[in-house]
Amino acid sequence: MEFGWTDDQIEYRRKVKQALDELLPPDWDERYVPESYASDLQVEYSREFCAALAERGLLLPHWPARFGGSDCPDWYHFILGEEMKAAGEPRGSQYMNVNWIGPTLLKYGTSEQQARHVGGISAGNVIWCQGFSEPNAGTDLAALRTRAELAGDHYVVNGSKIWTSYARKADWCFLLVRTGPARKDVSILLVPMDSPGISVTSFPGLIKDGHLNEVFFTDVRVPVANRLGEEGQAWSIVTHALAYERVGVPRYHTGLDALDLAVERLKADGRWEADPIMRYRAGLLVAKFEAARMMTYLVVDQRVKREPPSTDANLSRVVSLEAVTEMSNFLADYLPDCLTGGDALLEDYYRINIPAGITGGTNEIQMDLVAQRGLGLPKA
Amino acid sequence: MDFQLTDDQQALVDAVQAILADNADLPQSERLTYCCHDPALQALLEDNGFLGAARSIGPIEAALVVHETAKSLFSIEAMVCGLVAPMTLPDVELAGPVALVTERDLSKAIRNLTVARTLLVDCGDDVVMLPVDQAEVVSVPTIYGYPFGRLIALPDLAGGQRFVGKGAALRQWWRVGIAAEIAGAARAAIDFTIDYVKQRQVFGRPVGSFQSVQHRLVQRHGTVRAGYYLAMRAAWSGSVLDADIAGAHAVQGIQALLFDLHQFNGGMGVTLEYSLHFWTYRIRALQAEAGGITGMALDIADKRWPEPSVPALASEGC
Repeated sequence: MEFGWTDDQIEYRRKVKQALDELLPPDWDERYVPESYASDLQVEYSREFCAALAERGLLLPHWPARFGGSDCPDWYHFILGEEMKAAGEPRGSQYMNVNWIGPTLLKYGTSEQQARHVGGISAGNVIWCQGFSEPNAGTDLAALRTRAELAGDHYVVNGSKIWTSYARKADWCFLLVRTGPARKDVSILLVPMDSPGISVTSFPGLIKDGHLNEVFFTDVRVPVANRLGEEGQAWSIVTHALAYERVGVPRYHTGLDALDLAVERLKADGRWEADPIMRYRAGLLVAKFEAARMMTYLVVDQRVKREPPSTDANLSRVVSLEAVTEMSNFLADYLPDCLTGGDALLEDYYRINIPAGITGGTNEIQMDLVAQRGLGLPKA
Repeated sequence: MDFQLTDDQQALVDAVQAILADNADLPQSERLTYCCHDPALQALLEDNGFLGAARSIGPIEAALVVHETAKSLFSIEAMVCGLVAPMTLPDVELAGPVALVTERDLSKAIRNLTVARTLLVDCGDDVVMLPVDQAEVVSVPTIYGYPFGRLIALPDLAGGQRFVGKGAALRQWWRVGIAAEIAGAARAAIDFTIDYVKQRQVFGRPVGSFQSVQHRLVQRHGTVRAGYYLAMRAAWSGSVLDADIAGAHAVQGIQALLFDLHQFNGGMGVTLEYSLHFWTYRIRALQAEAGGITGMALDIADKRWPEPSVPALASEGC
């Protein structure tokens, strides 16, 4: 057991930081970050940024070399994620490509699908969105109703998806559709977003612009060749995909960065040294984020060792959420003006994390899974 | 980064667990007590070298021994003699078990004093080591899961061996020890509780099938699982900040942990014929040590953000 970084990993982190310093526009913090990583501005910019990152060989460190990666252990992927998230995620939506869409295509895609999609992902210039949730199927994904009817060599898709981040700018949708009457008769289609019959409507919300979209599918024709895996295989594929996604966002890293920024402001306001309770709470927050870091690293280590998926990934989300929630409370207690124009970066942090207990599977589902599959507690 | 034990570390853990498994049963006479310390088991662990792991192998191995022995129903003094003392005073041979106290608390009941042969006193900058004469100690009854004793007379610290400048190191390793011991005791208490809630039926179904019980057990499990790795990281790195973080994390989880575990074990959890209190009231006894949660959290803040405040604008008053 040891907890250090290797020299190569330290060097890789240095290169990533250097790339951020050299590539990001001078007004990144002032103009781009406050718009948030799902905004049209940032999603479009990601095509330029990720392409440059790919040129430097930094975009896909953990992918196989034959697909544009560097064959590095998953630790490099997490170093990349930590630094990108801390910088305000200039990869925009393309973090998903690296985290789970690409790896899922590599594992389950046909050679034709890989040839079509992997090049774009590894070049850093393609935008995907995730068509999972529906108005009546969020946590209970098996209730989804968007149907795909087989008609010759095409499926005809009808229905709608909701909470579809990046949909306005996406080139492709990783779409879950019902292909039979049973709950688990669900399949995956890879759908071009410029297909006739697709329309996107955005709506306002508490989180930042670009996350809250509804996507409507009306008689959308999708070639059978665009189906990922077999009919009805969606659950096993999605389980694999989400195992990547659950620890894909290093919330400890962004949380600690936001906390550093908050303390900087509190010091500048002359409030830090005079308030031991504030300092006490900030100290405890560091401990909570470090606990989240340990749980995330544990899961990465298991992945590096190719151990079978465990509920530690779910548990990691639970531990992270406690820290994130406490951080939001800290901001509301001591820097309430961050939501009234006082600090755009802290506002972005706060608002992005409002749905932290919902996205990627609700916290309650994570706890159910740990309780029943991890601790062996009986179902109700 | 490697979260798995090495083969040697796993062998060490297996060996400690084997000894504890062979000595798992409380004597009949000790079943209705608040705390059970077995000098023979303590000696067995010492004689077999497990309490010397810090010197013979390293601090992470010593922390593993603390973690494993904390799972026992017996109160075993591994934290100070096995980890804190050798890491703070690597060139000093101490007679164990060792009790540990801050100078201002010398007149109060001291954890492990009735079984200790040595007392370490945290005097701020320095550490003072004193031999313990059990004739000068009175036992103090308590529901805490350690043997507590009080010194009949305040000792003359000038008569002890003083180690100048060792106070900070002592508190650092004390916090690592607290984190490792809480993680071990909490792990045992959670596992014990999980077994109980799987069996115990209410309203025709197991207690553990209720979502309200499951979710809180998962949250406690997460806190303790993360705490174990924070403790091991602090032992591995030797970083003062890591020690503060590990200690603060362990202690801040105690309130919810003890409430939930006693809640889920119901009335049985407050009886002495049940085992829960051996772990939970050892954990409770550690809560205020080494600065407690306030001291640890403030130390984290001071270390992470050490620069003094520089107000952005001079205040002009109203």
